[in-house]
Amino acid sequence: MLVKIPSPLRSYTKNQSEVQANGSTVTEILADLDKQYPGIRFRMIDELNAIRQHIKIYVDHTQIKDTDVQLNGQEVIYIICALSGG
Amino acid sequence: MNESLSKEELLRYSRHLLLPEVDVAGQLRIKNSSVLVVGAGGLGSPVILYLAAAGVGKIGIVDFDSVDSSNLQRQIIYVNDDVSKSKTAQAAQKAIALNPEIQVVGHNERLTSKNALEIISQYDLVIDGSDNFGTRYLVNDACVFLGKTNVYGSIYRFEGQASVFCKKDGPCYRCLFPDPPPPDAVPNCAEAGVLGVVAGVIGCIQATEALKLIVGIGESLSGRLMLYDVLSMKFDSLPIPKDPNCPVCGVSPRIVKLEDTEVACAAAVEVAHLIAPADLSAQLKAGKPILLLDVRSPHEVAQGKLKNSTNIPLQELHGRINELERNACIVTYCRSGMRSMQALEVLVQNGFKNVRSLDGGIMRWTEDALSIETSS
Repeated sequence: MLVKIPSPLRSYTKNQSEVQANGSTVTEILADLDKQYPGIRFRMIDELNAIRQHIKIYVDHTQIKDTDVQLNGQEVIYIICALSGG
Repeated sequence: MNESLSKEELLRYSRHLLLPEVDVAGQLRIKNSSVLVVGAGGLGSPVILYLAAAGVGKIGIVDFDSVDSSNLQRQIIYVNDDVSKSKTAQAAQKAIALNPEIQVVGHNERLTSKNALEIISQYDLVIDGSDNFGTRYLVNDACVFLGKTNVYGSIYRFEGQASVFCKKDGPCYRCLFPDPPPPDAVPNCAEAGVLGVVAGVIGCIQATEALKLIVGIGESLSGRLMLYDVLSMKFDSLPIPKDPNCPVCGVSPRIVKLEDTEVACAAAVEVAHLIAPADLSAQLKAGKPILLLDVRSPHEVAQGKLKNSTNIPLQELHGRINELERNACIVTYCRSGMRSMQALEVLVQNGFKNVRSLDGGIMRWTEDALSIETSS
């Protein structure tokens, strides 16, 4: 499944803005991402398994708050990060 | 209130007047409008120039900084001779040179919780081109309180974002990101870099949205976040729902007055201490047990580091904090001293008591002719 990575997390993905990950839920997708790119999950998910305040996750064009949402394998996952530069 | 265009204005704005969606009525709306540009930097530069060219009657510019040579790679409103001069003065001069018919007001000060409402209330529309989260949240909250629309843009490395916040019934910035990230979570462009032209693309989108809102045409970016990825050259647009639980514009807001996020950060810095390179060198020579924590990227470390230092890049510090002994005497360092100060804040917030930051970073260390090593 295609996952779009925001610039601040691309140091984990060898500067790739789009990567592939497997899973039937967003939770599994994030776990697979962490397996491929160790440390990246912690930048998105906090110690209480909540999505960090400055990160948003979209499945296709729907913003999700719960990463247990089921996927059919055809979606695009967008990870959005707050940016401050101007 | 101007109700007509002069002969010179009819000629100057003729390409606008040829657009039936703009016409004389739309150009008069532009002429009678006032826009505040927060930050005269990479985003503010194209915004100010295009709004001036378009004939926005009054442009306000808020910035407290002076032009630095490192700005010129993307802040295209400035020229080489502007280095060291006030940004607001130089930007205003360029805007007036482009279009003497307009009024440009420079607010040569930092936007704070004390002056934000007074400044923003003087304008119809706000464009956020600031370069830090503290100002972004301040602008957002002030716009919510005053009912002003905020045309938002931000950039980082090869990415840009744009939206329109606080439009009637639309979401605000806190509906998307309720609170600022912790200091180490998202580096700024000064640390991570930005392709200069990204500022031009996003700034032009902000100027476009501003003009559409003023004239009253088209569909605005309110309720949508536009994402621009330079390397794949793709634009995406994702919906931003208005959050009924938003801390500032929700049903039961917890934020009811302006707060200075930056002040909170600054206060944390004050409890921290800097250590001068010569003092650190002397303590190391005396055999004091000090953990030298290098928070730069591995790429930077490979070019030279302090002897016996430990490398944990700032972005990884949160996740690897347990690798460090909480009672150890730690000195953080980076290239110039900015990231090491953020690392210090992270450590202090996590209960580390004995932390200092190397003043001026490895740059000052080498300027002071102290030695570095290029391999471990």
